[in-house]
Amino acid sequence: MKKILISFLIATLSLTAIFASGIKETTEIKQDEQITLEWWSWSPEMKEKNQKIINKYESEHPNIIIENTMMSASEYWPKLKIRASQGNLPDVFGMSSSALEEWVEDGLLGNLDEYINNDKTKQEIYTNLLDSTKALAGGNHYYALPFALVTTNLYYNKDMFDLAGLSYPTDNWTWDDFKDAAKALTLDKDGDGAIDQWGFWFYGRYTQIESWVYANDGYLINRDTMRYEPNDNALDALKMLTDLVLVDKVAPPQKDMAAFRQRDIFAHEIAAMSVEGSWNIDNNRNHSDKSMRWGIAKIPLGPSAKVGYIYGWSDSYSMSPNTEYSQEAWDFMKYIAGEGIGMDMYMAGKIPSFKAITESEAFDASAQQPDEMYILKEQAAGAMLTSYTKGWSEWRGYGAAEALGLNGIIDGIVNGEMTFDEAMIEASKDINSVLKRYYR
Amino acid sequence: MKEHRLRWHGKYTPWLFLIPTIVGLLVFKLIPIFTAFYLSFTRWNLIGTPEFVGLGNFKEALHSTHFMQTIYNTFGFSILYIIGSMVVGLFLAVLINKKMKGISFFRALIYLPVVTSSVAVGIVWNWILGPNVGLIAKLLLSIGINAPYWLGDTSLALKTVASVQVWKMSGYYMVLFLAGFQAIDYQVIEASVVDGANSFQRFFKVTFPMLGPTTFFVLSVSIIDSFKNFELIYAMTKGGPQNSTNTLVYDVYLNGFQFFRIGYASSLSMVLLLFVGIFTAINFYIKKKWAQPLY
Repeated sequence: MKKILISFLIATLSLTAIFASGIKETTEIKQDEQITLEWWSWSPEMKEKNQKIINKYESEHPNIIIENTMMSASEYWPKLKIRASQGNLPDVFGMSSSALEEWVEDGLLGNLDEYINNDKTKQEIYTNLLDSTKALAGGNHYYALPFALVTTNLYYNKDMFDLAGLSYPTDNWTWDDFKDAAKALTLDKDGDGAIDQWGFWFYGRYTQIESWVYANDGYLINRDTMRYEPNDNALDALKMLTDLVLVDKVAPPQKDMAAFRQRDIFAHEIAAMSVEGSWNIDNNRNHSDKSMRWGIAKIPLGPSAKVGYIYGWSDSYSMSPNTEYSQEAWDFMKYIAGEGIGMDMYMAGKIPSFKAITESEAFDASAQQPDEMYILKEQAAGAMLTSYTKGWSEWRGYGAAEALGLNGIIDGIVNGEMTFDEAMIEASKDINSVLKRYYR
Repeated sequence: MKEHRLRWHGKYTPWLFLIPTIVGLLVFKLIPIFTAFYLSFTRWNLIGTPEFVGLGNFKEALHSTHFMQTIYNTFGFSILYIIGSMVVGLFLAVLINKKMKGISFFRALIYLPVVTSSVAVGIVWNWILGPNVGLIAKLLLSIGINAPYWLGDTSLALKTVASVQVWKMSGYYMVLFLAGFQAIDYQVIEASVVDGANSFQRFFKVTFPMLGPTTFFVLSVSIIDSFKNFELIYAMTKGGPQNSTNTLVYDVYLNGFQFFRIGYASSLSMVLLLFVGIFTAINFYIKKKWAQPLY
């Protein structure tokens, strides 16, 4: 019996030793294994910054190689969709808030619940950004890790304000204050009858329209019916904007500015004010005259605003549902979403979702304009809305379709092709025909 | 003694040489065309299995005012392009069909836009045609004329884009007409000179009729080319204003690669294929009947 017991113990110990050595061996192999993670993103202008991040990450993780593919947004989405159709998505890839609902519904994004719920992510990343991406993804699970927030702002030319003797926009500015300033800033400098400096510039683009709609507590899409049913507050905002061109004559019709890149109209001092996404800070820094003094302000609240919503959304990273290296992909996602990078790795105007970066001195301490970078931080904590739905780029008119959809209809009003009422009827018919396809 | 002949090819050898062409034709033309034909009866966003919807996509198109406008724009563009490019191409060929010093330089200069990227052409013409600050607007203003909104006016935008396409491609048609001129028997023209024909009569009574086969070839090519207008529209108007420059080709791109409505985009491409097929068949018929060499 004793012999049997000793034999059993020896056998058990031997097996334990074999398994233990085996596990150790496996772990060692795994550590030595060279892993290649594919990372796809848009904004090719970030190529150098991305390469810096990759170099740093690879030096800290010698067994991991990152292959970064960057392309313009117009190329990115068709190519990513083709990879998705082959079941071969990159391990980590950029995800837009506008596409989130559709991609989740098609089962193309890896579920991130176990990662986000089980580590410090919720403490490290602004909760409202995590919540808003979760809501856009259907509300039950996390499918995207936000790396940056973008909002919209009023850009204004301080030199022009000073010359006109106007005080700069404040948080208390009303729409009347804004219009008065726009009138004072619209100038025929050489007296030839043609306006040389416009008070304001806008066209039918989503950033330039919805910002005012939300600042008046309006909405374009009724979320209960999922139809284009703008409320009165939204219609007031649209009317106020189009009247700036047609009645107040403080903004040019879209067709007058066709020769310019729209984002350069403010930067080239053709207009004293404009509204655009916070990423335009980068464009203004790079494309305006260095002597031009400019700033940013919040969108003036409308007369019906009780909350005064901010138009803002996250840019995120998602993970392939089929990645072989989900833990490694998650670690890398967190790294590029803020854990391993600094403020210098962000495009100017993008608000890092990682609290430690946004709340660091580096966020405010830029030597470059605008001086009001703190506004972006204040916005990050505010209540936000978007009009993203399935089929958004089609009904809204975005990218290659930017002359069509609601964008084209609003341009049609300010260009004198149709009246406001005609345009609203056409918008309702066209947009709802798209939404009916997606929300039956 | 049995004679051994060196035979380097057998019965199937020609097929070997045809393989690259056949593979190319299958992979890049025929398989995509048949796949698009199948997809035109489906609803598919590139993900999952295409859902069969019968004639649903075609019905949707036929009930859409947007589609009807697109068809109207497509034919409007084609007519302007075909007439414009043939007239300008022929005019340039007549101008350049001379033996004089430095003529090759002018031929190259006129041909240059043909090989220039359409996107670059579109961007430069956007500047030239720009309201208030564009070159043409400034020139017209200097003589007291306010330039119209070439690209911003719904009644002008399609004509403007088609004109730019004519400007870009006329050099190509000029080369085709030049080749036609050089194939004409000069003795016939000399005979007309001896008979007392003036230059106007020589061109319209002798030269132009003898260009018949070339003219019909140019017509066939220009009809097919007239449907290929995606790049310039993308660079200049993106289908606007108010859908006034949105053509079938551009709409196929929008629905296929912007909205990922692959089934609907395929049905539009089938409509386009049908149009191109009909015009090509008419062309062949006309060529067979009337466009025979006169000499």
